[in-house]
Amino acid sequence: MKGVRFEMNGAAITVETLIAHGVTDVFGYPGGTVLNLYDELYGNSDRITHRLSCHEQGAAHAADAYARVTGRVGVVIATSGPGATNLVTGIATAYLDSTPMIAITGNVPTTLMGKDAFQEVDTTGITMPITKHNFLVKDVDQLEETLCEAFRIARSGRPGPVLVDIPKDVQVNEADFRGGQPLPDIPTPTANQQCLEEAAALINASERPYIYAGGGVVISGAEDLLRQFAESLDAPVGLSMMGLTAFDSEHPLYLGMTGMHGLPESSKMHAEADLIIGIGVRFSDRATGDTKRYRANTKILHIDIDDVEVDKNVASTASVLGDLKEILSSLIGMLDQRERPEWKGRAKKVRDEWGRAVMDYKAQDEHSFTPRRIIKTVRAHATDEMVVVTDVGQHQMWVAQHYGFKVPRTLATSGGLGTMGFGMGGAVGACVAKGGARTLLFTGDGSFHMNMAEFATAVRYGLPIIVIVIDNSVLGMVRQWQTLFFGERYSQTTLERPTDYVKLAEALGGSGYMVSDLAGLEKALNGAFASDIPTIIDCKIDSDEMVFPMIPAGGSFEDMIVERN
Amino acid sequence: MISTDTIQHFTISIIVVNRAGALSRITGLFSKRGYNIDTLTVGPMAERPGYSRLILASSGDEATKAQIIKQLRKLVDVAEAKTI
Repeated sequence: MKGVRFEMNGAAITVETLIAHGVTDVFGYPGGTVLNLYDELYGNSDRITHRLSCHEQGAAHAADAYARVTGRVGVVIATSGPGATNLVTGIATAYLDSTPMIAITGNVPTTLMGKDAFQEVDTTGITMPITKHNFLVKDVDQLEETLCEAFRIARSGRPGPVLVDIPKDVQVNEADFRGGQPLPDIPTPTANQQCLEEAAALINASERPYIYAGGGVVISGAEDLLRQFAESLDAPVGLSMMGLTAFDSEHPLYLGMTGMHGLPESSKMHAEADLIIGIGVRFSDRATGDTKRYRANTKILHIDIDDVEVDKNVASTASVLGDLKEILSSLIGMLDQRERPEWKGRAKKVRDEWGRAVMDYKAQDEHSFTPRRIIKTVRAHATDEMVVVTDVGQHQMWVAQHYGFKVPRTLATSGGLGTMGFGMGGAVGACVAKGGARTLLFTGDGSFHMNMAEFATAVRYGLPIIVIVIDNSVLGMVRQWQTLFFGERYSQTTLERPTDYVKLAEALGGSGYMVSDLAGLEKALNGAFASDIPTIIDCKIDSDEMVFPMIPAGGSFEDMIVERN
Repeated sequence: MISTDTIQHFTISIIVVNRAGALSRITGLFSKRGYNIDTLTVGPMAERPGYSRLILASSGDEATKAQIIKQLRKLVDVAEAKTI
């Protein structure tokens, strides 16, 4: 098609441009102002597959998770007005976690814009602060280049969501189509040699380096170089939650997640380091706690692609900007080979001292049905390559602490925005991205109730998703804060919902199990893994389970709480 | 990085593509990130058709000033941002 020019309407230009960008799957929900676009999808269903969600939010999370597990741009389509506003949480979720996503919305005809027409909202105005960039296309002649530009912005450098708002008449009007070919990526600046030398000097002078790596490593695909870098430095590695899957959890240098709910050895050594090497991280408050105390006795080397992150949250001693793969491979050649038995040995001492923090809080004996044991039991049934999606809350932290990831991009979880309700739509997107392979969703009873309708989407498309509901009958994470900081005044966190998850699953066309012990869970997992239909396993646990360790918000590593007083 | 808590006043020159919403992106950035706008003037550039120049007076410490410039440069519609 390259070089060919012919007239097409805006809807056809949109679909052809998506296809020219290699898009094979889109998620969305039709409506009045996207009728033309959906008509075009109807005629091209052999080239591009649209999956209908139950709610636009679910479709947005699906497109987001699709992008997270593949690294490709996820695409979501919604109508104007409520369709667009229902995307907002999904777009913000993608924005905070730097996911490449294109959101295409319809809008009222340009002749009606600004007149409060039916289902009209200022979509670009609403989404301006939560997109990497957005466009309102008022002229069909600019549609093709705008869409190509949107893809380029979404995937280049630090990725992010881009919204393209296309009024109905722009979908109807005709223009020349030039093939919709992808534009080259916006180039990433090459790392500055002087910065690399400063970084290498800092690293070589360090006695107790600590590698704090994040989501940027996964986005860049720099996992292998991170391992080589850590090995040549012989330095321990802690990951932010977004960094999970960037480092093999069974590697001897791996300490575990760091930060508010990080494992004790990871967070303590983070605090004791004389040099923190932040790689693809943004020093979020959940990872650092009080920034003044965080940087008081340490030097900080910040390596990232996005220069606004340097010195934004924590002032750095030195920084290197550019693509992580390029920077890490340059740095590896500049490092003195070192062995640090004493510094590494510190991890074991911390683990021995603080190990009880990661034990099951409410465990009475080895048979108690605790979250950690649930996660470990599920893990034993799963392959290393299987994708895990989570919702947000206690269950998410337990998965982050205990699941044990080994393969990059096998976790899709809402980090920055902390979006309860991400999970079910996310699981649909992740499962589609993996060609319908078995996908696991860990959720809580609070999160699941937010967007559980998307279970029907999973059934509709025959997606073999196993939903593990860590069901404590409360909004566990908020309750935990109420327990620890609000004198056990459980304001609106006791759910008391009589939901029967087995009947719910069956009513929506899936299957379900209710379990309250490890033997029951084992049996349910055997059943679920033997079946291809979406399955819910409702795991009843104690309402007072807590996530430990915990560093209170704004606290520091020395404020770590490891048990309820 | 130079870190000082001293509040200073500074002026920024921004060249922005003449596109609907471009000014809103800049003012939105300032409100979203909690930066001050003391004064703001804007007009088309005779020497560069299709672009406008904004002169913006702001205040903050050294770190804030550096962040403002970097955040502005990150906006897709901003062609240039510097303190003058």
